[in-house]
Amino acid sequence: MALDKIRAGMGDVESPSVEVWSDEDEARARGLLQILGPDGKLVGAAPTLEPALLRELHRGMLRARVLDEKMLNLQRQGRIAFYAESRGQEAAVIGAAAALEARDYVVPAHRELGAALYRGLPLAAIVAQLYGNAHDIGRGRQMPVHPSAPRALNFIPPSSCVATQLPHAAGLAWAAKMRKDPVVVLAYLGEGATSAEDFHSGINFAAVYRVPAVFVCENNQWAISTPASRQTASATFAIKALAYGMPGVRVDGNDVLAVHAAVREAADRARSGGGPTLIEAVTYRAGAHSSSDDPHRYRSEADEAGWADKEPLRRFGAHLAATGVLDAAGVAAQRAAIEAEIAAAVEAEESVGPPPLRSLIENVYSKPSAALEEQLADLERVRAGR
Amino acid sequence: MATYEFKLPDIGEGVVEGEVVRWLVKEGDPLKLDQPMVEIMTDKATVEIPAPRAGKVGKRMFAEGQLCPVGKVLITIEIDGDAEAKPAAKPAATTPAGTATARVAATASAAPGLAVRSTAPLSPAARARALGPVLATPATRKLARELGVDLRGIFGTGPASRITSDDVRNHAALARGAGGPAAPPPIAIAREAGDVAVPFRGLRRRIAENLSRSKRSAAHFLYVEEVDCTELVALREKVNAALAKTPHATGVRKVTFLPFIVKATAYALRKFPQLNAALDEAAGEIVQRGHVHMGLATNTEAGLIVPVVRDADKKSVAEISKEIDRLAEATRTNKATREELSGSTFTITSLGQLGGVLAAAIINHPEVAIMGVHKISKKPAVRDGAIVIRDLMNLSISVDHRVVDGFDAARFIAAVKEGLEAPSGLWQEKV
Repeated sequence: MALDKIRAGMGDVESPSVEVWSDEDEARARGLLQILGPDGKLVGAAPTLEPALLRELHRGMLRARVLDEKMLNLQRQGRIAFYAESRGQEAAVIGAAAALEARDYVVPAHRELGAALYRGLPLAAIVAQLYGNAHDIGRGRQMPVHPSAPRALNFIPPSSCVATQLPHAAGLAWAAKMRKDPVVVLAYLGEGATSAEDFHSGINFAAVYRVPAVFVCENNQWAISTPASRQTASATFAIKALAYGMPGVRVDGNDVLAVHAAVREAADRARSGGGPTLIEAVTYRAGAHSSSDDPHRYRSEADEAGWADKEPLRRFGAHLAATGVLDAAGVAAQRAAIEAEIAAAVEAEESVGPPPLRSLIENVYSKPSAALEEQLADLERVRAGR
Repeated sequence: MATYEFKLPDIGEGVVEGEVVRWLVKEGDPLKLDQPMVEIMTDKATVEIPAPRAGKVGKRMFAEGQLCPVGKVLITIEIDGDAEAKPAAKPAATTPAGTATARVAATASAAPGLAVRSTAPLSPAARARALGPVLATPATRKLARELGVDLRGIFGTGPASRITSDDVRNHAALARGAGGPAAPPPIAIAREAGDVAVPFRGLRRRIAENLSRSKRSAAHFLYVEEVDCTELVALREKVNAALAKTPHATGVRKVTFLPFIVKATAYALRKFPQLNAALDEAAGEIVQRGHVHMGLATNTEAGLIVPVVRDADKKSVAEISKEIDRLAEATRTNKATREELSGSTFTITSLGQLGGVLAAAIINHPEVAIMGVHKISKKPAVRDGAIVIRDLMNLSISVDHRVVDGFDAARFIAAVKEGLEAPSGLWQEKV
């Protein structure tokens, strides 16, 4: 990117036309980086990843998938109040998270439980958050699927508000740059977030200050009921990056190896002072927006069927089987272990009661005010009288 | 064996009922955990409900097409052993402090997620921090030992997540079951003495939405005419006397006025298709219906519903009477299907014996007209220059003036009036 030239061009009336980006820059933002074809066969440069990491990528994706299946069942059975799946987007979520180092930060959007798990958040902590029980780190204060994580995991709690995480991510990365910490901030967003004000604020700030951030836009085609075609008049979402003065890369979001490669390259560039990148991972929201949504009211089954062939887990599984890294028995063993892990977590967390009543007035003031204490006392009196 | 009662949960952030669309299991079927049992349609979505327990299908409590309120038993499941019969949630008191955290830790270490990474994995120290560093003063640690509380299971509320003595006491209280709140406390709102609060939701809310949509969009125009029902009253008495001796071929033994009115109205609608219509604003079209499906606005305990007599113009008075009786019974016993309660092309509203003098009815959206039937009562009338006592009834119609001209509404009511004032043909006529 010719950022210096852009700056030089500003106010230079003698040469109002400046070279902003090259054909190569534009090709990356318009094209589609792919390593695995939909049938799992290599179509791009074979990555040099250890077999153990490949298996771990698969396990991370499968863990998100099975968690979705089981938690949606719990919701339908009335055992948790709400759930939002990431089904169909596992390659984008896990491929990006796996390209980071432990010291890096993750700023999630709405469908990144898989990334939290991959970074080491215990599955039981997610289940506790879904129940909002006394073990929940957030003490039952957040809507389900918005888990907090211990600080050491550098996983920021998700916000339901669309795109508000992007200025946060830019700020985190700016702080890291000022402190000369060699850390990278990965921020996830949906394609719907590109229409929100904070997308501009966050991306623009990140570019102007060349902060070490990687923005991964999971273009899952649907912002609740709004199709991607109604979200932007730009040719792609990645191409928006060029106008902001950062590289934009469009990648097959159902190809975990392609996502991993693109994010790794962007993270390396960010870490070495090269500034931010916007990556568009083209994928598909296979499920509903949330447990309260019915996508068949606004999209056709033909629309869904068209994406079923590009499904990320089957694609990666075919590649792993063909290369002898993980066979069907290995996949079955992964699934069995995950199912047992989830069953144990549900068993453990379902019977735990809610957080203590007192938690209602805690964690805002260092010492709850007299007025709050009085309200709590009133509340306890009312409850005792019932 | 024990019976597990599965109650319909709130599956969509504030729904109050769900319609059973399709049962996917039969009574007596073996049932696997998480096997889809039934499709339920709520205001928000149609979803499959998976089995919360394995066992055998006991009883399906609602038929397809019926509405199951949230919190009512939808299906029972026969399961092995009786300890499992109750819903899973146990009081917090049964969970000793700290053990759940131990389980969290065990789960995490059983999961090799952190072990393999091409980049730097989390260090053992970071790992320990991930599972919760324990920050507490010696006094707090002593208190925890005395109360038997495992500090690793507590979220600290002090500076830097330090565990305070209060945290330890709260946790111990929670473990004893003293702090296990279940339901939110009642919200105190200023009310006058004697006020009664009725939930505004479910059917009531749908009625409200439909009627306000109709009022907002349709240009309501009201027209009223007086109908002389003297001959109809006489005919009905004669018919009922005959039916009392010999029931009709349909089994009908007694008819009310309503089937006659339905018949006369259906017949008139065939002549005035512009009233048997709906306005499709999205398509910019007035849809004149090919059938006459007569909706009958009916008061029930739950609220206003509209059972439908299908093809009313092709049925005889006796057949209409029989169908009305059947729908009334289905409605009363809550067995009416969605098809029986929707799809009208025109609606009649009647307050029965109450009847009144006049009601300005609101059109049943998206239809374009609704006819109001009022009380038949003996009143003086002038016939051939003399005052006589006749059985008179007001007939009103609200039309959507955007679609139906006032003149057409008047001509339509005149046609209904003509049928009711010379009713002898109605009873015999089939088509």
